[in-house]
Amino acid sequence: MHTSEESVPLVDIRGLHKRFGSVEVLKGVNLQVARSEVICIIGKSGSGKSTLLRCINGLESFNQGQITVGGQSVQTADPDSLRELRKKVGMIFQQFNLFPSMSAGENVMLAPRLVHRRSREECRGLAQRLLDRVGLGDKFDAAPHQLSGGQQQRVAIARALAMDPEVLLCDEMTSALDPELVGEVLQVIEQLARDGATLIIVTHEMAFARKVSDRVIFMHNGRVHEMGPPDEIFGAPRTPELRSFLSLPAEGG
Amino acid sequence: MISFTTWDVVRNLLLSLPWTLALSFIAFLGGGLVGLLLLVLRLARPRIFERPVAAYVQVFQGTPLLMQLFLVYFGLALAGVETSPMAAAVLCFTFYASAYLTETWRGCVESIPKGQWEASACLALTFTQQLRYVIFPQALRLSVPPTVGLVVQIIKNTSLASVVGFVELTRTGQMIANVTFQPFVVYGLVALFYFALCFPCSMLGSWLEKRMRLQH
Repeated sequence: MHTSEESVPLVDIRGLHKRFGSVEVLKGVNLQVARSEVICIIGKSGSGKSTLLRCINGLESFNQGQITVGGQSVQTADPDSLRELRKKVGMIFQQFNLFPSMSAGENVMLAPRLVHRRSREECRGLAQRLLDRVGLGDKFDAAPHQLSGGQQQRVAIARALAMDPEVLLCDEMTSALDPELVGEVLQVIEQLARDGATLIIVTHEMAFARKVSDRVIFMHNGRVHEMGPPDEIFGAPRTPELRSFLSLPAEGG
Repeated sequence: MISFTTWDVVRNLLLSLPWTLALSFIAFLGGGLVGLLLLVLRLARPRIFERPVAAYVQVFQGTPLLMQLFLVYFGLALAGVETSPMAAAVLCFTFYASAYLTETWRGCVESIPKGQWEASACLALTFTQQLRYVIFPQALRLSVPPTVGLVVQIIKNTSLASVVGFVELTRTGQMIANVTFQPFVVYGLVALFYFALCFPCSMLGSWLEKRMRLQH
């Protein structure tokens, strides 16, 4: 038996439609994510997976449907409500987006200081612990441009964790990295998954998706086309579109 | 007839120099404050102030400063406001500088990658916190060279305030030339004075630019 707390999904997306001009990129997406669940979203570019992710924390507005995170509905027209929402939802970007005018440590300290109004010392301690956690404890005072791409992305993860989010969205977090730097970032995310974080990850790293996910979502043409545990999605894809995406022979192979 | 030595000319020009400096300084300070306010209004969502501010900028960029000076000076008088050349010049230069500064700074803000806005928004920062801690520090770096360029323009353009009777460097030069009958020498000296003001500004600008680039 589930308790009522557990049966309510942490992220609940229902009937989500999103248009850019005349192009409908999301055509009625339904997705429920439980607490501590790790979801990987895969699919071709243009399938709407990044847009879906960006709708969850209100970076994109949507035309129809409803999203709730931890019981709070996403209202993109209301800045105060969006800020409340974003205290619960962290995001990791493809381009890291560290603030170049601050050191690594200051990047991590900024939001707890401004948003949670915690003291400088407290934030400094928190930032140091988080940088230690992503293996960059000695880079507190480094400027972002002195760090490699993989290190920058790990600082960005520490920065998102500093707000203690209930769910972390990762938008193609390794796509801008040199191949040899991908591993260090994925390791940090894997550790987060083991620690019980709720993660929604848009990725092209299939091996990683297979290893880390509780559930894989295959998006195609603005819809959730196929969904299931990684073994099923990668081992026994049901639809021809997913087979083709995974470069498997059309039938039976 | 009284004769004027070159020293007399230089001394009188030197005495008028503080007025040119004061007008430039007030124009930059006032223009900077108004320009910053306009910039924030223009960036704020919902974008209700975007068009009015753009129109304001167009008005000041699309008309000669000389006309703006006349219109403010005579306009104030027409409206029954008792005004002095000093007050009219200060008011007009503040408007003028604010329009150019706000437009220049907007360009700097717009060249900050969109990801910086998104990342700071995702950390639940308010609009003012985004500007203050994330966007403006980066825009500031970019704004140094064009802002110094504008300061130099402002200093040189304060010479136009002489037409409404504000006695600064140029006006003083005119008055001296009228009595010495040596316009070439006098205006040559006036030009040198302007150069002596503007050149250090440009130097300071390139020094600041270099220093900020090193930090980055």
